Amino acid sequence: MSDTVEKKVEEGTPNRVTRRTFIMGVIAGGAVVGAASYRFLAPHHALLPSEGAGERLLTLNVNGKPRRVDVMKQETLSHTLRNKLGLTGTKVACDRAECGSCTVLIDGVPHYSCSVLTHAVRGRKIVTIEGLATNGKLHPVQQGIVDAQGFQCAFCMPGFTMAAVGFLQKNPNPTRAELAHGVSGNLCRCQDYSKILDALMRGAEYMRNGVPAGKSAGSERRA
Amino acid sequence: MPKAPVAQPKPEDLKPIPFGTGYKLIGHDYSTNELVAKVTGQAKYAEDFRAEGMLYCRLVLSPMPHARVKRVNAEKALKMPGVRGILTPDEVPGHANYVNDNGTMIKADKFSELALADEPMYQGEPILAVAAVDELTAANAIEAIEIEMEPLPFNTDPIDSLRPGSANAREKGNVWVREGREEKLKEVKWTADDFAAEKEGKLPTGEAPDHWSYGDLDAGFKNAALVLDETFSTEDVSHQCLEPRTTMAFWQNGKLYLYTGTQSTMQTVPAIARWMHMPEENVVFISEYTGGGFGSKITGALTLVVPALLSKKLNAPVMMRISREDEHFIGRARPGIRARTKVGFAKDGRITALDMFLVSDAGSYGSNGDGGACGQITSLLYQPQAMRWRNVTVATNTPPRSAQSAPGGMQAIAIVEPILSKAARKLGIDQVALRRVNSPEGKAQYGPPGRDGDRDYVTSCYLKQALDEGAKQFNWDARVARPKQSGTKVRGVGVALSCYHGGSTGFDGLVVITPQGRVQIHSGIGNLGTEAFIDVHRAAAEILDVPWENVDIVWGDTSKPLPYSCHSGGSQTVHAMTRAGHAVGLECVQRLKEVAAKTHGGNPEDYVVANNRVARKGGGSAMSFAQAAQAAIKLGGIYDGHDVNPQVNAYTKKSVAALAGTGLVVSAKDTYKHDGDSFSFLACFAEVEVDVETGKYYITDYLGYADVGTVIHPAALGGQVLGRSTLGIAHAIGQKWVIDPQYGVTVAERFYTNRPPSILDVPVEMKWNALNIPDPETPVGARGCGEPPVGGGCASITNALADALGDNIFQRVPVNSDTILTSLEAGRPMQNPFVAHI
Amino acid sequence: MAVIRDIMPAFDLLQPASASDAQQLLDRYGDDAWVMAGGMDSFDWLKDRIKRPRVLVDLSGVDELKGIRSTSDGGVEIGAMTTLSEIGSDPTIRKNYSLLSEAVEHVAAPQIRNQATVGGNVSQDARCWYYRGGWPCYRAGGNECFADTPVGRNREHAIFGGDRCVAVNPSDSAPALIALDAKFVIRNSKGEQTVDAEDYFVGPTADITKLNILKPGDLLTAIRIPATWSGAKFYFEKIRDRNVWDFPLMNVACAMKLSGDTIQQIRIAVNAAAPTPLRLKNVEAAVVGKPANADTGKAAGELAVQGAIPLQFNAYKIPLMRNLVKRAIGGVQEASWA
Repeated sequence: MSDTVEKKVEEGTPNRVTRRTFIMGVIAGGAVVGAASYRFLAPHHALLPSEGAGERLLTLNVNGKPRRVDVMKQETLSHTLRNKLGLTGTKVACDRAECGSCTVLIDGVPHYSCSVLTHAVRGRKIVTIEGLATNGKLHPVQQGIVDAQGFQCAFCMPGFTMAAVGFLQKNPNPTRAELAHGVSGNLCRCQDYSKILDALMRGAEYMRNGVPAGKSAGSERRA
Repeated sequence: MPKAPVAQPKPEDLKPIPFGTGYKLIGHDYSTNELVAKVTGQAKYAEDFRAEGMLYCRLVLSPMPHARVKRVNAEKALKMPGVRGILTPDEVPGHANYVNDNGTMIKADKFSELALADEPMYQGEPILAVAAVDELTAANAIEAIEIEMEPLPFNTDPIDSLRPGSANAREKGNVWVREGREEKLKEVKWTADDFAAEKEGKLPTGEAPDHWSYGDLDAGFKNAALVLDETFSTEDVSHQCLEPRTTMAFWQNGKLYLYTGTQSTMQTVPAIARWMHMPEENVVFISEYTGGGFGSKITGALTLVVPALLSKKLNAPVMMRISREDEHFIGRARPGIRARTKVGFAKDGRITALDMFLVSDAGSYGSNGDGGACGQITSLLYQPQAMRWRNVTVATNTPPRSAQSAPGGMQAIAIVEPILSKAARKLGIDQVALRRVNSPEGKAQYGPPGRDGDRDYVTSCYLKQALDEGAKQFNWDARVARPKQSGTKVRGVGVALSCYHGGSTGFDGLVVITPQGRVQIHSGIGNLGTEAFIDVHRAAAEILDVPWENVDIVWGDTSKPLPYSCHSGGSQTVHAMTRAGHAVGLECVQRLKEVAAKTHGGNPEDYVVANNRVARKGGGSAMSFAQAAQAAIKLGGIYDGHDVNPQVNAYTKKSVAALAGTGLVVSAKDTYKHDGDSFSFLACFAEVEVDVETGKYYITDYLGYADVGTVIHPAALGGQVLGRSTLGIAHAIGQKWVIDPQYGVTVAERFYTNRPPSILDVPVEMKWNALNIPDPETPVGARGCGEPPVGGGCASITNALADALGDNIFQRVPVNSDTILTSLEAGRPMQNPFVAHI
Repeated sequence: MAVIRDIMPAFDLLQPASASDAQQLLDRYGDDAWVMAGGMDSFDWLKDRIKRPRVLVDLSGVDELKGIRSTSDGGVEIGAMTTLSEIGSDPTIRKNYSLLSEAVEHVAAPQIRNQATVGGNVSQDARCWYYRGGWPCYRAGGNECFADTPVGRNREHAIFGGDRCVAVNPSDSAPALIALDAKFVIRNSKGEQTVDAEDYFVGPTADITKLNILKPGDLLTAIRIPATWSGAKFYFEKIRDRNVWDFPLMNVACAMKLSGDTIQQIRIAVNAAAPTPLRLKNVEAAVVGKPANADTGKAAGELAVQGAIPLQFNAYKIPLMRNLVKRAIGGVQEASWA
């Protein structure tokens, strides 16, 4: 390809047709970039971390119980839940608000717990995957997942479940497409999103009409 | 075994069979045993384990694509409170020889990666590890370490690496060649003349160390009604398992305990022993849950070894959980392949000749088989009458590649399918019809002739049937007949064939019937989420005619006795382990009958096993499973594991010995005959709707129709068909790497820049189906389906896009608004197929 | 010094309960303070350990900066700390200013919209992957642009307004607020100041290290939407690769008042085309008095992209912008099968 995408751009824009040739010239000999060019990857101004590193004792409301816990100022809720309160059902897969594995409910609203400061949720009600079942009885959404064999590796499952519960509490009777939008902030890498929706739609139905008695395993063949 | 193909029923005579026909368990849905633990958050993945005094470890990654670590000064870091120690490259074990399953000594591969590198070969390669009381302290310590590095020549682009005068990725060369058993590097540079084709937008071709051919290629092209010569590139795509690689390691009485997540369980132990240069019996490996693998976590890896070494050095448990960004670099990827393929078609669309030239990007460590598999899958799936395959596997200073669901097969299908689509349009043939005429069937042959002059062939193939049934279910004809354009929207439909290896043979099953009457099935397979690690044991339970509620599965911990099992990768498991399950089920029934005959008299043949009991035919004496197990313990010998079935593997023998006296202990090896190689097949269908003003498109429908033999667990199979189809779709619609070639550095290490598909990027209801026609060469009739859908998932989308937009839009995947808009504007492909890292 | 990412360094956390407390803290700490609204942008910088503030001022507890209120002129005032979800579901905004509802519903993902604020969305930093990766580019205080080189990976960069830096403004709500003629309320120790939405944003020529006019000590407290455009004919479209999470390859927001078919008044803006959201005044001037139809749209689209300068890999943005502007004014020819 001697020409480039710019070629078809309308008149008046600079003609860069020769750029590709230039690239070849630059790159052809392979490259050694001086070490100095990479220094940029170091932090611009590293501060000694002593300041503010201390912990403070907070009381959090987690799964309906008051929990007292020492929390660093920069600590995220997912860290507190997993490493201080032993609630490891909440998963951390990206730690950057772009996968949803760490989703918990804060006052009933789904949040990425990797991107919430624990200090900011004092006095608010936090519910994690461990807090859904009551007296050993699965939440209807959990039961829907079990009955429909939803999910595969299930690392995303707690987050999806919490996002679905939060969404269904406000939208109890969604269409499949609406539910997909409701849980669209959750990434699955095994990627049968259709089976996930089958399971969550079943959970939605159980929330509305109750969990039917007896075993009802198995999604219907999608024929 | 005879090599000549045997006659099989014609696909036309075969009809889909309702799932579960003739079985109580097989083919019926159920909820797998570990699902409640998963959905309540109780399932423990590697990062959920804690140990007394546990330290946390973080890695220091190379900022440069190729460099030498000249000096490390960690003095300041080591003095910081809470910092416990560092691990440097000179402390990690070197390359080791090892003995494989067949007892063959494999010489150490001196080109393979080590746990830490003093000459990092890619940006992101681990060069140091730091352990501290918590991750924050470890991170702060890392910022206090001074590292001096000397940059070395690098090349991140396989095509540029073949250019005259360009830099090699590694000192020893740039191209992988095989000499006997060994892979070696040599320098290959093409001439300026070789590169002439580049000016016409074609892949240049030159010296290619790998090649094979069969048939008369020249005659094939000469007799063709249409010859197409197409260039196409596939993208490097990271595995991006949702669970970042995590390991917790500690040592106790000379034994190494590793809590981690990998795809395989019992097969991981020798791999760790090899990395660590230690005996297998001193490795205990615990992996009950794994957050995705897709080929990137088949056995051991540096992410297991670094915490193990640090734990030994510091005499404390060490947890290492790599970050998502680390995962991008260390977590493996599928190699992108640049291809030039010349295909001759007869008037009816039959492929008369196919000439394939591949440049495969091997990344920084090791060759890979993707280029080779690409040729083999092409020859099987499209049955060209004559074919030549040439391949150059080029080392680049980019993150290491590994198998990814359908390695090579995915690329083959992505490369060839668009050519089939174009040919069908040019020849005026329906897309399904053109694929039907080229589809393999029966004991279809593939690959080049072997030393004996014969070509290999598959166990069975009913792809034509799947194609016909799929086209019916998808309403293919009706969709094709509908109007294409309305307003700014254009619709397109696509069909693609797909296949991959579907299983191996020769592994063991291990069952204990306990004195309490429980059927305890031991599983050496990894739990990577597909549920195969449980599903396959339904084969044994079916034969024992035992209710599933009475079955327990033992898995995920090599301190427990496990049988010799397959690697959980490459779609082996369902095929390999239903065979082993079938074998051990039959063996178990026999032993139960023998125990009953010895206890109550008569011959074993006088007894039947059903519903937790072994009973004399026509009534009379009967024993519950519990009673039979108690009797087996009394009988000892072969019945309670004090003696062992001599056919099983040494690993299984050790496990049986460990179980001796605990019940009726039964092991068996899969020795069933198996004529041909197992492959699974799919016909994949998709519809897209493109907005020609924005280049934005939506996939509106998808169907994957599978020929995978007997369906074991429909819900799990559906998960594999659609989940792996979606991985293929990800290749078509957006997942990618972006590397700045001037610095050799990745700029898209985050999900929002490398773009794995969201739930709103696929149809809200994708469909799947399966023929459920048993494979005649395996007792349960089941094959694997992890890999086969991927290529079809990708190519059905690109074919649908080409149907909507024409053939002159794209020459590579992924295809996005940018490609579509610029090419539509120009009326020809405007995206350089070789600048793949965008 | 070796580099490590994905562990937030320690900082001092201050959580004021009122705007005036927040104001005082910002005055006291000046350059040392990092203001965090929803945190969706801040956490990235902090976890990458590239921005290292000594003090983090977390506004999440300042209730007076939250909520949607009617104003005396019949418009609405949105507290800067109001979440995008609240804006998206607010009945008044859905009824009168659906342009904004639509824009915020296209931001990122549900959980992000539940936490991200409108103040944060308009004030977020550039997403150039070199800049975000910690390269010492112009925007980071260096003297080089890594994206605008012959091989720089600049598919998502600017076709307008590049000046050494070619990063784009990634906000989805910003063009909608410009089209609605919103006013941004900024408070500092000297008092309160109100600026037009389009004047809130700055390009590299004015200040290469920032995307908006906020200075240390400044607090964006509210966004006021005047009644002027209530119930106008709106158009919003965002093109992105993935339908969740992704920033725009480009977006367009347009508000028109028609008399019959004739355009009486119009405001139109695009984003992700330039370092600032672009209000297309030349297009506005050219189409007033013309019928809102395909021909006008086509001419408007052609006009909008005049002077665009593509980089190596982003020329597609020219037809994209042309067509988005065309559709915003002339409408989309919908498929009849839909």
